[in-house]
Amino acid sequence: MLKLDRQFLFGKLKGIYEVTCIKENPLQFILKEMMKEEFIDGVIGTTQEGVKVKPQLFIAPEEIRLSRLYFHSGQNTFLKKAIQKYRLNKIAIVAPSCIFDGLNKTQYYGIGCNWAKTAVALKVGILCLGITSEEGLECELLDITGESKEIVRNYLSPEGYFFETNSGEKIKVNMETHHHYINSGCKYCLNLSARGSDITYIPLQNDRSGIFILRSERGWRTLGILQKKFPEAFKFRLLGFKDISYVEDLLRQKLILNIDYILERVEMGLPVPKWNSNRFRKFYRLWNSVNDVNIEEEAF
Amino acid sequence: MFFLGQDFNFDSDFKVKLGFFHFSSCSGCQVAFLDMFEDLVEILDTVELAYSNMLTKKKDVPRLHIAFAEGALCIEDKRHLSLAKELAEKANIVVTVGGCASFGGIRRLSVGSQAPQPSHQSFIPLTEVELLKQKIKYAIPGCPPNPSLLYNFMIALLEVNEDFLQPFEFMANSKDACGFDVVKEVINKGLCVGCGTCVTACPSRAMNFNYHYNRPTFKPTLCVHCGSCLAACPQSFKPYPQPIYT
Ligand code: SF4
Ligand code: SF4
Ligand code: SF4
Ligand code: SF4
Repeated sequence: MLKLDRQFLFGKLKGIYEVTCIKENPLQFILKEMMKEEFIDGVIGTTQEGVKVKPQLFIAPEEIRLSRLYFHSGQNTFLKKAIQKYRLNKIAIVAPSCIFDGLNKTQYYGIGCNWAKTAVALKVGILCLGITSEEGLECELLDITGESKEIVRNYLSPEGYFFETNSGEKIKVNMETHHHYINSGCKYCLNLSARGSDITYIPLQNDRSGIFILRSERGWRTLGILQKKFPEAFKFRLLGFKDISYVEDLLRQKLILNIDYILERVEMGLPVPKWNSNRFRKFYRLWNSVNDVNIEEEAF
Repeated sequence: MFFLGQDFNFDSDFKVKLGFFHFSSCSGCQVAFLDMFEDLVEILDTVELAYSNMLTKKKDVPRLHIAFAEGALCIEDKRHLSLAKELAEKANIVVTVGGCASFGGIRRLSVGSQAPQPSHQSFIPLTEVELLKQKIKYAIPGCPPNPSLLYNFMIALLEVNEDFLQPFEFMANSKDACGFDVVKEVINKGLCVGCGTCVTACPSRAMNFNYHYNRPTFKPTLCVHCGSCLAACPQSFKPYPQPIYT
């Protein structure tokens, strides 16, 4: 059986830091300052009005107000506007890995957005344990607590995965319950830690701290520049894998649920898209036949 | 290389001979193809554009290794029928370029009998012509396809990069393409992740997005049947080359 080793869970990386910012959420602060310095000219991410999360294109630093509930929807619909209306060419995208998968297929886009990929300057991946719809979230909470609650944040902590309500109550979420309510597309996902992005961001209990997994030269430079410019605003703490073993555990738990789902799909013979009938079967074969293969590039 | 065929003669066929053919269409695909040809300068020592109604003066269709064809076949147009016959005879493989040739494209909306050519009433994609079927190996979606896609396709074809080519092979057997594809193939099969890529990929604003339910919506009246939405969807097939996880 394939090992769910660290390499598969986290992907390749250059370093892991816990970043604390005295001013505001570190990711939001970094994006604002990057835009002020003109390293980027727009941010596509999600914003929040109460419990409602919606995708948003920010074109001025003072506008940037990222959602704290890292549930996305349709960020890529804003690419057209960013490129055609605002002519942006240094866009930062804050999103989970499936959004970047869509971005990696720009060569298949219709005319007008051909060069969308070259307009992206920074990819900040969000570590994602699966997202729900608004209704899904409501039902999930009813299931866990027996009451309706308004969720405004989600984060990871050494105690597990948590939702936070608007009154500050913290609700621990069990992975199996969460798996039941997430979008069905998320149940087949094998890239929860956003491998392939420049930086993976993991929200923590303290909103002014976050874990940054630096993956690319671009991600590394981004943090380096900001640290140099605002030495007093940031506190960096270098982390090892043992410091984030709780993240690894959650990822492993969730991935096992997802893999179960994929295997069941193949065994049941449920249909797959007509243009790639092999996708899940290839994974199934690998899963059942080899001991130690890097499936990351082979199957997904 | 499989498209060189049995009769490959190294001396006279030193270069891979390509042709571009025009059926009933707006020529947008040929413009995109010629656009990408500029970028192909570095491989012009290996390929030769042997026929194009826009760029070459040749009247007769030469023997070709690869024929690219745009546009739908007009059943009433004798020239189209004889061109299709000629392609079946003279090309080793045929690649249909764009929605019209591959899936019917905007021609699916045609009711025929337009004023200048009232006898031209019915149009079918080249992939539906039995005579050409054995020859059509790949279909490229788009209206027109992205020149960078044509470029990468060209390179993949010359290198016989099967991972890249495989989805195009599937598309050659896919008779129809429209926004319902993402509904049928992705949403109904429980694979949509709500990323919104299909909305940006659509050249005609037929795809929209419902932010509440986190799913794309489709307006059939605006669809030009180009196939870009499903081709761009990250859940239809994974991007190739795979992103490099550095
Ligand atoms: S679980 Fe995977 S598919 Fe679902 S939102 Fe997260 S990254 Fe996307
Ligand atoms: S697919 Fe579109 S661009 Fe290509 S020939 Fe047809 S109408 Fe023109
Ligand atoms: S919905 Fe848009 S992208 Fe999809 S086939 Fe129709 S026109 Fe093309
Ligand atoms: S492109 Fe994204 S939103 Fe559109 S059907 Fe595919 S997964 Fe769903």
